[in-house]
Amino acid sequence: MRPPKPWILRWPGLALAAVIALAYRGSEGDLHRLFSRESRAALIDFSLGFWPPAHDPEFLGSIVRPLLETVAIAFLGVSVALILAVPLSFLATSPLVTASRGDRTGSARRLSFVAARLLLNGMRSIPELIWALIFVRIFGIGAGAGVLAIGIGYAGVLGKVFAEIFESLPRSAADGLASGGAPPLRGFTFGVLPAAMPLIGSYTLYRFDCALRASAILGIVGAGGVGQQLELSIKMFDYHQVASLIIALFVLVSGADIASGRIRKLLQKSVGLLPLSKAPVWRRVGVLVAWVGAAAVAIRFLRIPVEELASPQALRSAASYVAAMFPPDLSWSFVSGLGPAILETLSISILGTAIAAALGIVVAYPAALRTWSERISDEPKRSFGRFLRRVASWSARGVMNLSRTLPELLWALIFIFVVGLGPFAGALALGIHTAGVLGRLYSEAIEEVSSGPLLAVRSGGATDRATFAFGAWPQAFPQLVAYTLYRWEVNIRASAVLGVVGAGGLGKALYVSLGLFHYHRTLTLIAVIVGLVAAVDLLSGWLRRWAQQAGSSKALAVRFSETIEAQLEQSFEGGYR
Amino acid sequence: MTRDWIVAVLLALSSSALADEKTLRVSAIPDEAPTELQRKFAPLGAYLENATGWKVQFIPVTDYAATVEGLAAKKLDMVWYGGFTFVQARRRTGNALPLVQREEDAQFHSKFIVGAGSKAKSLADLKGVNFAFGSVSSTSGHLMPRYYLLKNGIDPDKDFSKVAFSGAHDVTAKWVESSRVDAGALNESVFQKLIDEKKIDPAKVRVLWTTPDYYDYNWTVRGDLDPQLIEKIKRAFLSLDYSKPEQQKILDLQRTHKFIPTQPENYRSIEEAAKSAGLLKD
Repeated sequence: MRPPKPWILRWPGLALAAVIALAYRGSEGDLHRLFSRESRAALIDFSLGFWPPAHDPEFLGSIVRPLLETVAIAFLGVSVALILAVPLSFLATSPLVTASRGDRTGSARRLSFVAARLLLNGMRSIPELIWALIFVRIFGIGAGAGVLAIGIGYAGVLGKVFAEIFESLPRSAADGLASGGAPPLRGFTFGVLPAAMPLIGSYTLYRFDCALRASAILGIVGAGGVGQQLELSIKMFDYHQVASLIIALFVLVSGADIASGRIRKLLQKSVGLLPLSKAPVWRRVGVLVAWVGAAAVAIRFLRIPVEELASPQALRSAASYVAAMFPPDLSWSFVSGLGPAILETLSISILGTAIAAALGIVVAYPAALRTWSERISDEPKRSFGRFLRRVASWSARGVMNLSRTLPELLWALIFIFVVGLGPFAGALALGIHTAGVLGRLYSEAIEEVSSGPLLAVRSGGATDRATFAFGAWPQAFPQLVAYTLYRWEVNIRASAVLGVVGAGGLGKALYVSLGLFHYHRTLTLIAVIVGLVAAVDLLSGWLRRWAQQAGSSKALAVRFSETIEAQLEQSFEGGYR
Repeated sequence: MTRDWIVAVLLALSSSALADEKTLRVSAIPDEAPTELQRKFAPLGAYLENATGWKVQFIPVTDYAATVEGLAAKKLDMVWYGGFTFVQARRRTGNALPLVQREEDAQFHSKFIVGAGSKAKSLADLKGVNFAFGSVSSTSGHLMPRYYLLKNGIDPDKDFSKVAFSGAHDVTAKWVESSRVDAGALNESVFQKLIDEKKIDPAKVRVLWTTPDYYDYNWTVRGDLDPQLIEKIKRAFLSLDYSKPEQQKILDLQRTHKFIPTQPENYRSIEEAAKSAGLLKD
C-alpha cells in the first residue's frame, strides 16, 4: 500500500487545496475574527453563562411539553415516512429484481420505476426544514406541519434505501422459487423480502434517531417541538436556559441512540418475515399494536386535527397554495441575483466539510488509538499509559457525541455569536456538527484496519504515532475519503437552509420570499436548491468512483457499491461501544 | 420544591386537553417573543371571554406568514396584525376586517438605533454597516425602515455590508446593544418598553433617527365571522377604560391607554410604501 503523502502533493491534492481556499473566501472565512479577542470574550461569556443551567420549576415545567412534542413529532414523522416509503420503494426497485429471470418487464412497470425514483429523489433533495416552512403555511402552525415535513423528507430517503437493499440482496432464493414456477411477486415476497426485513428495520430505527434531531429544530419555523424555545433562548442571550435545553436534548438523543442500538441488535437476530412458530408471530402482532397505539397517543398529545388535515378543504388549500407558486419567477433581475447565494451555499458546504474532516481526524485519532494500540501493544494491562489512552478515547467520544447531537442550525445560532452573522458562522456550524459524525466514522474505519501492517511497522520499533501514520493511515485513507465525500452530499442540503437563522446562503433568500408571500420566487428557489443538491450528488458520486480507481482499493469498490447510504449509516450507527 | 416540579409538569401535560366549542381562536404576529405575547394577552383574553360569552383561545405562532395563512384557511378568527401583515392578509383573503387599534397605532414610528460608540449622524452615514431588520414581514421592523432608507438614498440590498433579519424587535435591540450588528431598526413602543424595563442599557444604544407617522398595528377579524360577534368584540375593545383598575392592567399590558376604531383605508399608504420598496408585487 502506498503512503498517502504523494497523493496530497500531486495535482488532486493541490486542486483540493485550491477549492478549499476558494470556499474559504466564498463563505467570508475570517480566522482573525474567529480568534480575535471579542470572539474569545463572546465564547467565554457564553460558556460561563451556561452555569448553572436554568432549573427553576416554572422553566423546567415549560419545557417538558415541547420536549415530549419533539419525540412525538419524530415518531409520527417516521411512521408517516414508512407508510409512504414502503409502496414507493417497491415501485422504485429495479424491475429486474421483482421479475423472474428471463422475463421481459412491461413498459408500465418500467415507467413506474423511473417515476418512483424521480419522486423519491425530489422528496429527499428538499431539506426537512423547507418542507416544514411550506407545510406551516399550507396546514397552519403546529406539530402537524412538523410531522408531515419529516414524513415526506424521510420517505424519500427510506424509499431509496429500501429499494437499494432489495436490489443488493442475493437473488438465488427468489430465482429458485421462480424456476419452481412461482409468479414473480411471490418469488420476491418469499425470496427477497425476508432477508431484507432486518436491514429495513434497523435502518428505520437509525432514521428515527436522525428524526429526533431534525424535529428538535423544526420549532424554529413554527412546526412544533422544543426548537422554538431553544432559538428564543439563544437569541435572547439566556444562556442558563440554553444550557438546560441542550442538556435535555443531549440526554434525549443519546437515550434514543442507545435504545435503538439495543433494538437493532435484537433485530439482527430475528428470523425473517415468516417465522414458523407462534411466539414470534404474536410478538410481531404485539409490536404492531403497540406501534399503532403509540401513534394514536402521539396524535392526541400533539393535537393534530387528522380529519381536518385529510379533509377536501385542506387538500384544496394545499393545491391552491402549490398552484399559486406556478409559474416560477424566471425574470432575469431575480435569477441573476441568485448567483452569489448559490456560490455562498456551495462554499459553506465545502468549507464546512473540510473543517469537519480536519477536526474529525483530530478526534478520531485518540478515539481509535486505544482499540488498535491495545491490539498490537505488549504493555501490561494496568499500565498508566493504557489508562491515559482510555481517558483520551472516552473524552474524544464524548466530544463527538455532543457535537453531533446538536443539529447544524443550533450550532449556527451559537456561532453567530462568536463570529457574527453570515456564511462563516454557517460553515463553522456545519464543520463542528459534521466533525462529530465524521470523527465517529473515521475512528471506526481506523479501528477496523487489519493488524498485519500495524504489527509489521511496530516490530520495526515504531512509536504509537509512527505506527498510526505508516500502518493504519494508509489502510484507512481511501475509506475516509469516501466518507468525507458522502458527508459533503448531506452537508449541501444543510447549508441550503442555514440562511433561515442568518448564517448565509440560499436559505435567507428563501426565508425572505416566504415571508413576503412571493410565491413564484419561492418555487424558483426550491428548484435551485434541488438542482444544486442533485449536482453535488452527481459530482460527489463521480469523485468517489474516481478516488476508488486512483486509490485502486478493491475493498472500497465492494464496500461502496450502490447501497452506500445504507451501509455507511449502519456502520456509523454500530451502537455505543 | 419537588412538589412544585410535579405540579408544573402536570400543568404542562394537562394543557393538552382543550374543548373547541364556540371558541374564538386568537393569535398575534410574533413581533415579540411568543411567551411574552401570551403573557400580554392573558388578561385581555379573559376580558373578551366575559364580554362576548365565547371561549377565547390564544394560539402562539412563530411565523408572521403563518398568521396570514391561518386567517385565510379559517384556522384563526382574530389576529393582532402589523400594518404590513394586515395588508397581506387583506390581499390574501379579500375580506379581513380591521376593527380597532391602540391610539398610538394611528401615529406609529420606527426607530433606527446604533451602538453608543457609532459615529453615524444621519441615515446616510449608515452606508457599509452591518444592519438588522426585525422580521421579514414586519411593518415597523422592516417595511417602513426599508422605505425610509431607500428615500434617503440607501439601498439595503446593496449599500449595507450585511443585512440580517433578527426575527423580532427585542432581538434587534439586543443585537445592537451587544454589537452583534452596527445598527438596526425597530418598533418604537417595544424599544421604549425595553428601556423602561431596563432590558436594554441606554448607555450602550443610541437612537439615530425616527420615522414620520404611519398607521401600524390593529386587531383584525375574519370577514365572514358572525356580524353580531364582531360588533361585540369591537364594543368590548372600545369600552376598555383606563380609569378602572382591572381594565387599566389590561391596557398597560397592551402598552396603551385606549383603543380606537380603524378601517382598511387607513392602510393604503402602507400598501403604497410596500409597493415602492419592492416588497409587494401586483
